[in-house]
Amino acid sequence: MKFSNNGYYIEKYIKCSNCGMLLYSEGIQSKSSPKQIFCSQWCVDWSSAKAQGIEQPKLPFGHEKIHEIG
Amino acid sequence: MDMINMNIVESAMIAIAREMGINVQKTAYSTIFSEGEDFTCALANRNGELIAVADFCPSQIGGVPLLVRSMIKEIPLSEMSEGDVIIHNDPYRGGLHTPEHTVFKPIFVENKIVAFAVCVGHFVEVGGMVPGGFPGEATEIFHEGLRVPPIKIIREGKDVPEVWKMMLANVRTPRGNYGDMRALISAVDLGEKRLKSLIEKYGVQIFESTVQDLMDYSEKRMCAELETFKDGKYTFVDKVEDDGIEDKEYEIHITVYVQGGEVVVDYTGSSEQAKGPINATLGVAWSAAFNAILHMTDETIPLNSGCFRPIRVIAPAGTVMNVDYPGSEVGGNTETHPLIVSAIFGAMVDCVPNRVMASEGTTHGCFVFGGHDELNDEPYGGFDFSYVGYGGRSFADGNDATDSINGNCANTPMEVFETRFPWIVEEYALRPNSGGTGQFRGGLSNVKQMMCTGEMLVSQMTNKHKLCAWGLKNGGGGALGATLYKKAGNDKWETAVEAYGKVSPSKYSNIPMNPGDRVRVLAPGGGGFGAPADRSQEAVKEDVREGYISEDQARKIYGFPG
Repeated sequence: MKFSNNGYYIEKYIKCSNCGMLLYSEGIQSKSSPKQIFCSQWCVDWSSAKAQGIEQPKLPFGHEKIHEIG
Repeated sequence: MDMINMNIVESAMIAIAREMGINVQKTAYSTIFSEGEDFTCALANRNGELIAVADFCPSQIGGVPLLVRSMIKEIPLSEMSEGDVIIHNDPYRGGLHTPEHTVFKPIFVENKIVAFAVCVGHFVEVGGMVPGGFPGEATEIFHEGLRVPPIKIIREGKDVPEVWKMMLANVRTPRGNYGDMRALISAVDLGEKRLKSLIEKYGVQIFESTVQDLMDYSEKRMCAELETFKDGKYTFVDKVEDDGIEDKEYEIHITVYVQGGEVVVDYTGSSEQAKGPINATLGVAWSAAFNAILHMTDETIPLNSGCFRPIRVIAPAGTVMNVDYPGSEVGGNTETHPLIVSAIFGAMVDCVPNRVMASEGTTHGCFVFGGHDELNDEPYGGFDFSYVGYGGRSFADGNDATDSINGNCANTPMEVFETRFPWIVEEYALRPNSGGTGQFRGGLSNVKQMMCTGEMLVSQMTNKHKLCAWGLKNGGGGALGATLYKKAGNDKWETAVEAYGKVSPSKYSNIPMNPGDRVRVLAPGGGGFGAPADRSQEAVKEDVREGYISEDQARKIYGFPG
C-alpha cells in the first residue's frame, strides 16, 4: 500500500503476487521477477513451486500467524 | 492450558458477543438489523485476531481479522485512546462490500489495549447510484456508495461531528443511518463494558494467556479434523451467469489442496475481474473459504482465529475473486460469496461426501428500493431478502426457503414489511417443484408477489436466473429464479430485460415503479443429491401430500404410481 506523503490517500494498492493479500509493509521482493512481491516466505515458496510445474506443492504453514495479521 | 478457565472465558465471551447483537437488534432503526439480523458481533485481541464471535451473519466472520488488521495498520495502537470508536467500510482494505460498516472499540485495561469490541453491520442505504445500496449496473466503486477508510467517529467518548456530518450528508436516509450507526456503537460500548468486567475478574495476564490457549486449542482441533480428510487436490468450476453489464459468464475456479491437517484454497484460474459488481473482495475470498471449511468440520470447535490458522487462501488480484481498485464489488459478497462456498463443496464431494451439499440457490435476492415516504415526509430505503432452496445431502433433503449460506438472515414478517414500506404482499409461499430432483431432493425456494403503493426506484442484485443450482452424484438442478414485473393496467409478466431493456434479468439499477405496479420474485431452488431413481417412494408420497412436488413430477421423475 503506497500512501501519499501526508497519509491522506492511497496512491497505489499493492497486493501479494501469490495470495492477493494487501501489503502494508514492503513485502518480499521476488528474485526472479522484479514485478513480483510477496507477503510471506510461504507465498514465495508456493509461487516458486508452482512455477516449476509442481502440481501439489506440500509446504507446511509452520506456526507463524496467517500472513502478517499481527 | 487450564481447560476449565478456558471454557468459562470462551462461553462468557460468546455471551458478550450475543448480547451485543441483541443490542443492535433492539435499538436499530432499519429492518435489516431489527428483523433480518444482517450483522455480526465479535471480540478481537490487540493483534487483531478474532477471539469470539456470535452466530449472526457468517459472511462477516472470516473478514473480521482482515478488517481489524487494516484498522491497526492505519491507526496504530499508540494513537488510540480510551473511549475511541473507529469506523471502516472500505472494501479494498479488508471490507466485504461497501454496505458493510464495521465499528471497533479498543478495550483498555490498566491503561493498555487488551482487546477490541467489533460490530459489523450491513447498512441498507450507503449513497451511490441507487437507493438501497445494490446498483446492479455499477462499474466502479464510486457508483456503490460512500467509502470510509478507518477513521475515528468517536474520540475519547465524544462524537467527532465532522465525520458524522460527512457520512450522513452522503446517504439518502440520514435519520435511519444515524439510528443504525448508534445501534452498532451501542453494541461495542456494551462489549467493552462486559469484556472489561471479565478481564478485571481474571486479571490481564490470565485473560491473555487463556485466550491464547483457546486459539491454540481451536487450531489443534481444526488440524485434527482436517487430518481425517484424505490428502489430495480437489477441483471444481462454477459460473456467475452475468455481471449486469455484459451478457457473459464469469468462471470461478476452485482448487482445494488437502495436506496433512492443513488446507490451501486456491482460486487461480478464475476469470479476470468483471466490469459489473459481482467481484469478490479479498475479505469475501477469505470469508468464503473459511465459511466452507467450517461447514465441513466439527461445529463444536471454538470459533476464533485459531481455527483459521491451518487454512491458506490464494486469491489472485485482479480477478473476480479479489477485485482491484476501483472495480465494483457490491454483489461479490451476496452472489459470488455463496457461489464460492458451494463450489468448494462441489470440489470436496469425493473427499468428504457426507459433509457437503449440492449447490444451494446462492443468492439473497437483494431486491432493494427507495423513495419518499409521504406519510412521514422523509426518504426511505428498503432491502428485501429472498429465501433459496439448499442443496440435497447424502443423508437428507435440502432445507427449504433459507437465506443463502453466508447470510443466515432472518425473514422480515409481512406485517412489519407492509407497515414500514409502500408494498402490499399478495403472495408469499414455497415454490412447488423448485427443488432439484434426487435421492435427496433440493430444498424448495420461495416466491413473493408484491404490489407497489407508492412511487419508488427498485434495483436488484441476484443470480441463477440463467444457470441453475447444480446437483451432485446424479441429482438434478434446482429451478431457476426469476423476477417478473407487471405494470398497472397490464396483464403481462415480464423480466427486467423485456420490460425495461436491461442487459441482465438479475442485476440492474433504478427501475421506476408506481402505485399498482407489481413484482413477482421467484428465488432459485437447491440442487438434488443422488439419482432420483433411488428416492424412497415413501418420501415421494410425502412430497406429493405436502404439495412440495406435483403429481406429474412424482410420476415422470420418480415413477410414483399415484
